[in-house]
Amino acid sequence: MSSEHRPEIGSTVAIQKSAFNALLNNLKEQGYEAIGPHVKNETLVYEPITALEDLPRGYVTEQEAGHFRLIYLGHSRYFDVIPGAQSWKQFLFPSRKELFSLTKNDGGWKMEEGEKGTPAYAFIGVRGCELAAIQIQDNIFLRSDFNDPIYRARRERAFILSVNCLHPAGTCFCVSMGTGPRVNSGYDLNLTELEDVFLLTIGSESGRGALTGVPLEAANGFVLNAANRALEHSASQMGRKMDTSNLPELILNHLDDPYWRSIGERCLSCANCTQVCPTCFCWDTLDTLSLDGNETRRTRVWDSCFNPGYSYQAGGNTRPTIHSRYRQWLSHKLGNWKQQFGTLGCVGCGRCITWCPAAIDITAEVVALREETSR
Amino acid sequence: MTTPVTNIKFASHADRLLEPVWAEITAITPEAEGISTYWLKFVDPAAQAAYSFLPGQFNMVYLPGFGEAAISVSSDSEDRSLVGHTIRFVGNVTRAVSRLKVGDVVGIRGPFGAAWPMQEIEGRDVIIAAGGIGLAPLRPPIYYIMNHRERFGKVYLLYGARTPSDLLYPNEYKKWEQAGIQVQITVDRADENWQGQVGVVPMLFYRFRMNPESVVLTCGPEIMIRFVVYEGLARRIPAENIYVSLERNMKCGQGSCGHCQLGPYFICKDGPVFRFDTLESFFNVEEF
Amino acid sequence: MDSLEELKDELRKIPWFRELTPQHLDKIARIAHLQQVKAGEVLFREGDKEENVYIVLEGRIALDMFVPPRGKVRFYTAEAWEVVGWSSVTPTVRQRTAGASAVTDGLLAAIDAEKLRQACEEDHDLGYLTMRRLANIVASRLMVTRLQLLDIFAEPEEKHVK
Repeated sequence: MSSEHRPEIGSTVAIQKSAFNALLNNLKEQGYEAIGPHVKNETLVYEPITALEDLPRGYVTEQEAGHFRLIYLGHSRYFDVIPGAQSWKQFLFPSRKELFSLTKNDGGWKMEEGEKGTPAYAFIGVRGCELAAIQIQDNIFLRSDFNDPIYRARRERAFILSVNCLHPAGTCFCVSMGTGPRVNSGYDLNLTELEDVFLLTIGSESGRGALTGVPLEAANGFVLNAANRALEHSASQMGRKMDTSNLPELILNHLDDPYWRSIGERCLSCANCTQVCPTCFCWDTLDTLSLDGNETRRTRVWDSCFNPGYSYQAGGNTRPTIHSRYRQWLSHKLGNWKQQFGTLGCVGCGRCITWCPAAIDITAEVVALREETSR
Repeated sequence: MTTPVTNIKFASHADRLLEPVWAEITAITPEAEGISTYWLKFVDPAAQAAYSFLPGQFNMVYLPGFGEAAISVSSDSEDRSLVGHTIRFVGNVTRAVSRLKVGDVVGIRGPFGAAWPMQEIEGRDVIIAAGGIGLAPLRPPIYYIMNHRERFGKVYLLYGARTPSDLLYPNEYKKWEQAGIQVQITVDRADENWQGQVGVVPMLFYRFRMNPESVVLTCGPEIMIRFVVYEGLARRIPAENIYVSLERNMKCGQGSCGHCQLGPYFICKDGPVFRFDTLESFFNVEEF
Repeated sequence: MDSLEELKDELRKIPWFRELTPQHLDKIARIAHLQQVKAGEVLFREGDKEENVYIVLEGRIALDMFVPPRGKVRFYTAEAWEVVGWSSVTPTVRQRTAGASAVTDGLLAAIDAEKLRQACEEDHDLGYLTMRRLANIVASRLMVTRLQLLDIFAEPEEKHVK
């Protein structure tokens, strides 16, 4: 196949790993800022990358409840590391964004927008669970009755290069939630990393455009089979599973169960889970006033239902105890989310399990709740 | 129960998130200790012409530098000349509002929320049960009923507050009686000068017979709402005929920031008016 | 019209009295009388020895307690068909714990409390019906009192989070 002959949407091609930088250059020339996984300060973050060599080749992450280690094994794969605490949420839904500032002006207020301009991100290496999370957040921020202009502008410009996950980690359960390890749709390019080549499935016009001038090879039956076998094997290697058969009823029918207090005794209400969760969307507004009272800024920041002051009425705090706040989080994520947005809120990425300092594991909690309530 | 469509981008699809529209205070009516009604007119006449709300909806009232508060609109929804908010001075933002004067400007985002089902309840007897500041979001339905009195059956207002000086809008009760609304007032306690009833709002249900086809509209402290619902259900009024207006802290008012969630509902978007049967399964769960 | 019959006619307007047998109604009517009150008239004061239990037929009766230094606090008003002074029907309470006065002109049915207690002792059927009614009255007042006690309209306090 010559490089002038552009592949069809839906087709799969192969490229030599050395050709990947040509793809990245195309994206750069088209105005994208490429973001990808990167090792920094002994951990794994999502940062701007310029070349394949910026990716965490040779690393794996060891993940368990309350446990994360980035380990260098020396293997040859670039896209093999299961992500750390960060997700793509921080790019589409920034954790801190100045909305506008007002300056006193002639008895009124003059408004200035917060930083103007919207970045065009190219997300390099989005896993199935992460892509499902982005699609869940699309349901939240882009609705017919409400439209978040910040999210919409970034999401419209975003280029997604997703990755089929071949080596899940200890807290992964995308199979249970139906979000992976294979990525089926919603991408511009979908990548599978084999020993010698990257397979790329074209998902959109943007995906085709990113391959302009990149030397492409046919993806023959042999490599496609290898990819499928690797994905099947990956699906059998999940570190966790969650039986969703009677969610959300299991939780919503047992809101009064004493079981919640036992979780409340372990939970620290630290809000780690809501920060690392790629679907959590709660936010707050901060209004600050300059000392002379002439300028005020309105900033949007992430918030968490675990924050003690998160919910209140005239009579006082709605959820003053930790167990009631934990119940709110779980009965939302695996419960009421379904009525609100059509799916459960969990994508099976396992971050909340890995990053909980009290090692609370929601897959185990669901099992325990099931046992408690069936007595 | 949809929000009215306007040309001015008042809220949901603003180009800038949470951008307010400016309105000037044209009058302030003190109502009770710590409560006043602010009568607003949008600075831009096109905004004033475009703005409309349904009974039960609310606006986010913004005071630059202090923040926003969710305040029900308490004026006549069919009078487009002014927008009235009855505000209780209880937090940072509302206490700052209490220091404002006629001519000062505030930011408005709205209208938000699900409204009282005025069209759905035509033809029925209506019982309006309010407590304290809860009469404010119920005043628009009273005005609506007065504007279209023939569309409704018997109408009762059952209203209670802490003491006689805490009663809202006492100058209007006579007007409402004259419009064919039976007004029953009670207070939690009084002194010997009070000639009216002393007791609690749920007791007012005993002052007349009501038919099970009646509709109840209620707003007030959540405990009062619970007992009002109980009195309605005890008189065989089904939960589908009882509408409650709830309150929670709100930040965005648009079903996005998550703060006002109660179970599956965003009180700002799916409420604040709810048909009670949709809340029954979790309304009494403690600390939910 | 015979004043006993007139009294029975008034009593029969009240649902509870309609449930009594003619004999029981007669027993009670014979130890009761109709009493008219004028607006502002004091029915009884705190500390008075008890004499009657009252049923409001028309008008409004206010119940007050004197709380130094606050003065008179009006904590309840009884409307038509409500009972005032029910504690005189119970075995032990002997002094009025609150004052009662008429807010408007009104009409009351006054029943001699001691004779009612005696009638209940002699006729346990009547006694049961009376005490059952009393239990409902007390339950209702307790509910009202609890809601008043909760002070649900009060200014919200600053609460500390656990």
